[in-house]
Amino acid sequence: MNWLPPFVLGLWGAVLLQAWGSGRLNLLLQADFHWLVLVSGLLLLALAGLAARFAPKRRSGRTPALVMLLAAPLVLLIPPRPSFSTLAANRSSGALEGESETLTFLSPPEQRSLTDWVRLLRSQPDPELYRGDPVRISGFVMPTPQAAPVLARLTVRCCLADATPVGIPVIWPEGESLKADEWLAVSGEMGVERVGGVLRSVVIAERVQPIPKPKRPFEP
Amino acid sequence: MGIVLKLGMNWPDGSQWQTVWAVFQGLLLEAIPFLLIGVAIATAARAWDPRGRWLQRLPRHPLLGPLSGAALGFALPACECGNVPVARRLLAQGAPMGASLGFLFAAPVLNPIVLLSTWAAFPDRPWLLLLRPLGSVVIALVLTALLQQLSEAALLAPDLLEERRMGQPLATASLLDRRSGLIGNQPLSTTPAIAAERPSMGVLLDHGLREFLELGSLLLLGCGIAATIQTLIPRDLFLAVGQAPTLSVLSLMLLAVVVSVCSSVDAFLALGFAAMVTPGALLAFLLLGPVIDLKSISLFSRIFRRRGILLMLAGVVVAVLLIGQWLNLVLL
Repeated sequence: MNWLPPFVLGLWGAVLLQAWGSGRLNLLLQADFHWLVLVSGLLLLALAGLAARFAPKRRSGRTPALVMLLAAPLVLLIPPRPSFSTLAANRSSGALEGESETLTFLSPPEQRSLTDWVRLLRSQPDPELYRGDPVRISGFVMPTPQAAPVLARLTVRCCLADATPVGIPVIWPEGESLKADEWLAVSGEMGVERVGGVLRSVVIAERVQPIPKPKRPFEP
Repeated sequence: MGIVLKLGMNWPDGSQWQTVWAVFQGLLLEAIPFLLIGVAIATAARAWDPRGRWLQRLPRHPLLGPLSGAALGFALPACECGNVPVARRLLAQGAPMGASLGFLFAAPVLNPIVLLSTWAAFPDRPWLLLLRPLGSVVIALVLTALLQQLSEAALLAPDLLEERRMGQPLATASLLDRRSGLIGNQPLSTTPAIAAERPSMGVLLDHGLREFLELGSLLLLGCGIAATIQTLIPRDLFLAVGQAPTLSVLSLMLLAVVVSVCSSVDAFLALGFAAMVTPGALLAFLLLGPVIDLKSISLFSRIFRRRGILLMLAGVVVAVLLIGQWLNLVLL
């Protein structure tokens, strides 16, 4: 009896369901796509059951099934542990959707996320507009060449492959030791600094607190 | 040279390999549902029209054929992973070559989801909303005309050719061509011939299952290559040429191949660097990625022989480069 193809199909159904159930997808895909993985996992399991029951038994084309058989346990057992700073260092910071338009709705400064701030600063870049505004944001530490590390987030539209970093410069408290990839909650106020003769907004950090990596670390 | 030196001097460390593994999983888990949708549509086509009577009625005209195939994208929305099994089924059921290839190359762009996402990402560039589908149709016409210079036997993968021959009338494919074992060579595979009657659920399941596993194993390879290259090579290298008219088009074409993002969301990714590159480069990125990328290139081996794949690659690269150049000439 050729049990291999239905077994492998069912195994991949289990891989997808495990990825969905374990929260692993939060590190890999934008939330809008999670249901697709769940439905596909259930369908693969159902189809595997039907194929085992009804499909004719014949022996052919075993190589693809063997390749898929070997890959499934690897995906199942080795969880993804991406280094966000490694990923971000390889990719230039990109434009955000809507930043070219004038923002008509603004949440209060202390409620803005890091991405909200970046979008606002790019949309209306006059740094004097925000001087003294309270800031409460969170993100991971992203080292930058020849400058202080910035606090960053990854924006993801589909999957980790299209992850694009957005970062905001921070004046860190004296003696603060920072590690790449470390997640921090930063509170302080927005200030202005001159870099290369140009004024820009910068977060003046008053309180820096390590936090666990968020369950859903990506921003849309 | 710079890339080689960089990779040669700094062997990737543990965190880079862990990131490669995560990007691989991201690409794979995002692609599998679309592959499943494609295989499901292909299996439904086999069940609904086992002898390909309806599909064979698609236009054979050299212009109308590819256009009708491209228009099928609106009815069967699938991105590049999902449309390979569907196009393969069209060919296997005996649909005209032009219509099948038109679907294969244009459907990943000519579908409502992709057009809507392009509009959502670039509301301030109406020309992109017009030129992306138009360029996609032009590419489909060019590639179809180019690939049809090869005979079917020289173009199509052997097992697909065999299945296609079984579905074609004897006027177009002789018993020798069919390689059914009645005359001439032994049959290439043990795949049962297409049943004259509607196939049973067991046979449909068996075919669908094997097709999914074959394409899935190729997808593993494609995702692995794409994840490795895009994690280890800085994306800035592709964007460094910025406003240089020809180089920017070429480098964004290379980026589209490497990044391997699904066509339904690639416009949002392009939004991130749209301001840094020429309009022609932006359009080239949005045209090439849906046709070919590192993730999907291995899937084409289930449709074409190596010569066909090479011809397709050459054709699409030249066509996209010329379109990008033309746009830069007009807008810059």
